Amino acid sequence: MKLGLRNPAAKTIFYAILLVWSLAVLYPLAWTLLDALKNNAQFLANAPWALPKLPLLWSNFSYVWDKYNFDSYFVNSLVITAGSTALGLLLSASTAYVLARYSFKGSGILYLFYIASMMVPFVLALIPLFFLLNSLHLINTWFGLILVYASSVLAFGVFVLVGFFKSLPKELEESAVIDGASYYGTFFRIMLPLSQPGLVTVAIINVLNIWNEYVVGTVLINDPKQYTLPVEIGVLQAEMQYRTEWGPLFAALLITIIPVLVVYILFQRKIASGITAGAVK
Amino acid sequence: MKTSGTAKWQRSLFIASFTIPTLAFFCVFTIYPVIKALYYSLFDWSGMSDHMDFIGLQNFKDMLRDPIVWQALGNDYFLVAGKIVGIMLLATFFAVALTRFGFRMSGFFRSIYFIPNVISVVVIGVLWNFIYNPQIGFLNAFLSLFTKEPVAITWLGFTSHTIWMLLPPSIWAGIGFYMILLIAAIQNVPDSLYEAAELEGANQWHQFCHITLPLVWEQMKVSIINIMMTTLNGSFVIVWIMTEGGPDNTTQVMGSYLYQMAFRQYHFGFGAAIGVLILVTSLITTVALQRLLHRETIEMS
Repeated sequence: MKLGLRNPAAKTIFYAILLVWSLAVLYPLAWTLLDALKNNAQFLANAPWALPKLPLLWSNFSYVWDKYNFDSYFVNSLVITAGSTALGLLLSASTAYVLARYSFKGSGILYLFYIASMMVPFVLALIPLFFLLNSLHLINTWFGLILVYASSVLAFGVFVLVGFFKSLPKELEESAVIDGASYYGTFFRIMLPLSQPGLVTVAIINVLNIWNEYVVGTVLINDPKQYTLPVEIGVLQAEMQYRTEWGPLFAALLITIIPVLVVYILFQRKIASGITAGAVK
Repeated sequence: MKTSGTAKWQRSLFIASFTIPTLAFFCVFTIYPVIKALYYSLFDWSGMSDHMDFIGLQNFKDMLRDPIVWQALGNDYFLVAGKIVGIMLLATFFAVALTRFGFRMSGFFRSIYFIPNVISVVVIGVLWNFIYNPQIGFLNAFLSLFTKEPVAITWLGFTSHTIWMLLPPSIWAGIGFYMILLIAAIQNVPDSLYEAAELEGANQWHQFCHITLPLVWEQMKVSIINIMMTTLNGSFVIVWIMTEGGPDNTTQVMGSYLYQMAFRQYHFGFGAAIGVLILVTSLITTVALQRLLHRETIEMS
């Protein structure tokens, strides 16, 4: 049986609403690209939706890349995102596996502890984290930010991966144990490869969140050389109020969002399944 | 199987090696700072020196007498309420439209609508600053199409109600995530229920009220509570990028005020106390919303 909306008038109106919202989402992105190719004269003289004049100022991109050191911010963001995602995944996958497969004294409490910690607003930890990293001499370092970000995504990873490990069949592990595999061998050679889909889902969600993170980065990094992309965007936007280099600012926005758009296009389904798994608290 | 002493010991060692490093790490970089924040909130401390004055609950007493804290609290709850209404209405509509209405290209719309959720809030804030920009902004230029004189409204500079301007970007940025959640929930509802309703001649609105809404209510509750928590915890970023809490502190939220008091004015004790306020308000509001939104759950057989 075909289900759906029958009233043609309602159908048209609802479809129009969907189209309008698509435009509301896509237009600001298209606008960012168009404005990244303009100079200040065009910003002041023409309407914001006017197309950029030829020749297109692709030089705005190389300008922020070189003059505003976006090359190093890009590398900072890349290293920090990769490092904290890997560390966070390692720490959460190991605990999640044990919580999903072994019952031991305190296992229930340990699980609840991670779940409950997700209720605590992370801003609360902001001030002590600053002083903790300061005393460890990790302010303004890649490593310091990696540790904090890895810790901030841990509970989410434990939560999603416990559910994932529980959904895997037990037979393979059991036969591995009978074949004489050690606990570690079973985990690394059997379970980790099997749980790849779950690990990838958690990793991608963490990559997006960490790449985009602003508050912790702003507090823990104050050496301009060590900025991540979002931190630099925040600084840049404040500077541009008197320096007015709008074209380059839009180019900077694009440099920041293109990597996440690529990740999104490649891993759409994974992201959707990760969100759904993570929300069933 | 017989478990010998060594086997048992090996098992325990394995469990310990897989849980203790994670737990220790998590305690150092998340739990310890949270507890330390509760501790700092009892001190008058500039952060510059080791000198800390224990002042008990004085920071909290000062907080109650600080009009900006009340303003921030009001703004936070304004954003919570506005976002819950705006996001839930639109996300629910989109989720239903993309699953139940039989539209073509539903998958395409779904992909598009999620895009704002993968973009950094900082970038979204900067983009919307340009939409609101009085000289070269999109909104004024658009309104000028319909007026004789060019419109030159400073959208983020009103002496009151500027907080309203932060609502559209927050809603715009939030919809996709909750739409995906609700789509997954709706897809879990058995088709047979809708088919039976269809046979009885129930229209889409009735189907929504009597099938979809009761069966996805749990997900809606989770979404509403999640919007509240992320707003109290994270509305700071969009405020900081778009208005820095101004003009004249009228758009300050608890998070931005915490940042300003601690890292701009070096009242770290007072800042930590605001953090405690954020924790307390979000816990109380969670409990209140749980009560308020409680309905008999309907089990799907």
